[in-house]
Amino acid sequence: MRIIIAGAGDVGTHLAKMLSGENQDITLMDESQERLGSLDSNFDLLTLESSPTSIRDLREAEADKADLFVAVTPDESRNIVACQLAHSLGAQKTLARIDNYEFLMPKYREFFASIGVDSLIYPEMLAAKDIVDGMRQSWIRQWWEFADGALVMIGVKLRENAEILNVPLYTLGTDLSYHIVAIVRDDQTYIPGGSDIIEAGDLVYFMAKKKDIPLIRRIAGKQELPDIRDVIIMGGSRIAVRAAQLMSDSCNVKIIERDLARCHRLTEALSSRIMVINGDGRDPSLLVSEGIDHTEAFIALTDSSETNILACVAAKRFGVAKTIAEVENIDYITMAEKLDVGAVINKKKIAASHIYQMMLDADVSNVKCLTFASAEVAEFIVKHGARVTKGYVKDLNLPKGATIGGLIRDNEGLLVSGSTQIMEGDHVVVFCLDGMIRKLERYFN
Amino acid sequence: MIHIRVIYRILSVLLAIEAGVLLLCSIIPLVTSEPDMFAFMASALITGCCAMLLSTFGKKGNRHDGISRRDGYVVVTLSWALFSFFGCLPFYISRFVPEFTNAFFETISGFTTTGASVISNVEILPHGLLFWRSLTQWFGGLGIVFFTVAVLPVFGIGDVRLFAAEAIGPTHGKLHPRISVSGRWILTVYAILTIACTIALKLVGMGFFDSINHALCTIATGGYSTRNASIGAFHSVAIENVITVFTFLSGINFSLLFFMLFKGRIGKMFYDTEFRSYFILTMSVAIIIAAVITASTGNGLWKSLHLSMFQVISLVTTTGFVTNDVYNWPAPVYMILSVMMCLGACAGSTTGGMKGARSIILFRALHNEFYRILHPNAVLPIRINHKVIPDSTRQTVFTFTICYVGLIATSWIIYMITGMNMSDAFYASTAIVSNTGTAVGSFDAANSFDTTLSWDVLSFAAKWYTCLLMLVCRLEIFAALLIFSPSFWKHL
Repeated sequence: MRIIIAGAGDVGTHLAKMLSGENQDITLMDESQERLGSLDSNFDLLTLESSPTSIRDLREAEADKADLFVAVTPDESRNIVACQLAHSLGAQKTLARIDNYEFLMPKYREFFASIGVDSLIYPEMLAAKDIVDGMRQSWIRQWWEFADGALVMIGVKLRENAEILNVPLYTLGTDLSYHIVAIVRDDQTYIPGGSDIIEAGDLVYFMAKKKDIPLIRRIAGKQELPDIRDVIIMGGSRIAVRAAQLMSDSCNVKIIERDLARCHRLTEALSSRIMVINGDGRDPSLLVSEGIDHTEAFIALTDSSETNILACVAAKRFGVAKTIAEVENIDYITMAEKLDVGAVINKKKIAASHIYQMMLDADVSNVKCLTFASAEVAEFIVKHGARVTKGYVKDLNLPKGATIGGLIRDNEGLLVSGSTQIMEGDHVVVFCLDGMIRKLERYFN
Repeated sequence: MIHIRVIYRILSVLLAIEAGVLLLCSIIPLVTSEPDMFAFMASALITGCCAMLLSTFGKKGNRHDGISRRDGYVVVTLSWALFSFFGCLPFYISRFVPEFTNAFFETISGFTTTGASVISNVEILPHGLLFWRSLTQWFGGLGIVFFTVAVLPVFGIGDVRLFAAEAIGPTHGKLHPRISVSGRWILTVYAILTIACTIALKLVGMGFFDSINHALCTIATGGYSTRNASIGAFHSVAIENVITVFTFLSGINFSLLFFMLFKGRIGKMFYDTEFRSYFILTMSVAIIIAAVITASTGNGLWKSLHLSMFQVISLVTTTGFVTNDVYNWPAPVYMILSVMMCLGACAGSTTGGMKGARSIILFRALHNEFYRILHPNAVLPIRINHKVIPDSTRQTVFTFTICYVGLIATSWIIYMITGMNMSDAFYASTAIVSNTGTAVGSFDAANSFDTTLSWDVLSFAAKWYTCLLMLVCRLEIFAALLIFSPSFWKHL
């Protein structure tokens, strides 16, 4: 696919790096040479020092031949103009990053399509949604859906109280309603076989149908959290506003913001049930007086990643069950996950992976890849006469380091065991270590 | 962090390719039934075995480890050195070049497209060796690693870092988002030029074998010839004109040639600052020299123009072909030609030298400094193709220039220490630093009517120093010198 990304900000750069590893033709446009930096000598992509709203520069970038045009500069109206120009020049699909909730309303979708903007993305909104989802199912670290939710894959960190620790996996039985596809231990990803065991502290990826998720929760030894009633949000950013609005009415939300002028603006933007407090969220006495000890969730959304991480660690000490920290510095994320911070959100990653997902949905080829935890999930459509259709799964001799997670047949999710027969036309979800995809392709074509 | 196994793996692939090419070269002696077949077979076998050995060392290397920047520089420098080492085996084993030093010198001079030859009589070499000698230049023209990556994109993501480590010129524009596709396009332009040059030479009366060899050396701007008297041996104005045209083309940025050939965008060419200055500078210097030699030698104006055009273009593109006539020219002309050699042609071509883009930045900066005395508060950017050059690039260009001039001065002194006189040492050092390989007006001018410029007069130490210098200058100084700096090896 030929993809043009306009704007080498955080989201654009992250997206470009991600896609360049996927054998896509990436062109990254930005007016500032500083922001483009030495990207093109470190990643397989083309950088152009040019303006995304200049017709000549868009021609130079071959916008007319682009399959996808993504405008992610900080300015929403510029993004929309760039998309319109690219669309008129002949780009197949356009996507603009926006900052305006109104634009996202479904009734305007047709309108935007008619002016040449096919999709809109609002990163703050996505981050807020992620926070609210995370509050609902707080024990799940990662969540991927296949075929509109027919199958899900979830990542769960197992602690000492899990039921399936320290026994070889084959003793769990053969006809399970879940499938363990990967284990991440000490930054290493393993594809487990029958004789492997799970240890406390492992991040385990399960593949299951949606209805079986409560069962996984039980064997993982996770408690259903009590309903969250009291929430403290530190930092009155745009994400905070969106998250506060998305939370159900039964929640008592308090937003602590240091800047008084911003507090006033927050009160204008939010409904009266949300309390805005002017103060420093790092001040324990303020937190105690606002009732941190009976708060169920603490969300740190200030501009400073360090502050957010430390504030969440502190909140855990106060006994808050669920903490979420916004960490914009990508290098800090793994470190933050090792500390007892709870969930971590990153606006750039959310936005980039959302765009990525949208792109995959548009892709007509039969391989879809999602990359994370140094492993790949691919969805193959089984072609006529493919090698996988020639016998039961256990007789296929799949390469080591790959496992078939499940398959989708007639929009119905199925888990795969040794005695499953794969048929032509199935969508097979495969989990494998980095770089195995090419080897696996042979089995499905 | 150096990923030693990944380096082994990449080097093994590169050597395997060299072994393959050597094996292909052994077909020529099979046809002509000359004595160098065994040499090619043995060299291919040795190279192949070493490649296999390296690949077993590199077996556990995970290709997805990726290549760090350091790895890139190590791979590029090592691959040039190793290619030259294994490439010299046919000369050495066949005993046509009995000393190892000479064989290595000849090969590295080929790969770096310097074209400085130590073989005093090339006409006794069998066809296979002559062809291999020309082929080394053709490989080296675009860069060994570039060539390999463009043909076989086997190293995945690491390709980009390898390209960056070998890149030529201060700025590099890609043609396509994917580096391997850009590489293939550039390679296509290179191949088309070579084929066109072969056909043109054949049409104007050169033999088929000579045409191929000269085409390979012309497009790579190397300058090896199959004749002792270089192009002068053919005594043909038409051949000289064909060579002039193709050396000029090879001095143009290949991206521009690509746009011209495949997209029909000739306007883009004259929009390009570097091309314009290359064109104007070359033409004006050629005209000046034509005037000088008309006055001093009494040639007709057209003949002088033809000769000076050939010589200026051959040297500004650092090719280094000469005609006999050059030795009758007045001495100041040699000096002008030496300066032209050092300035070089366009970045992104196969030429050596400082490259036009750097010279332009340098001269504009100089102009700005004078201008600033009159207007102390003026903000004076340097523009190339209407784009302002960032300060960091300007800094790099200054540093490069200082290193470049420093290398010329150092080499000048070193050549004098090894026993050359002052002017010979100067011409030799400019010829090697600019990768031209032709020391005009130098030590061998007196007896060069029937031999090519022979570097055989260099002492043993001077030869090895020259080998190192050719490699360092071909890799644009920094890439090669970097791995000799202590900080490169700290904190592995």
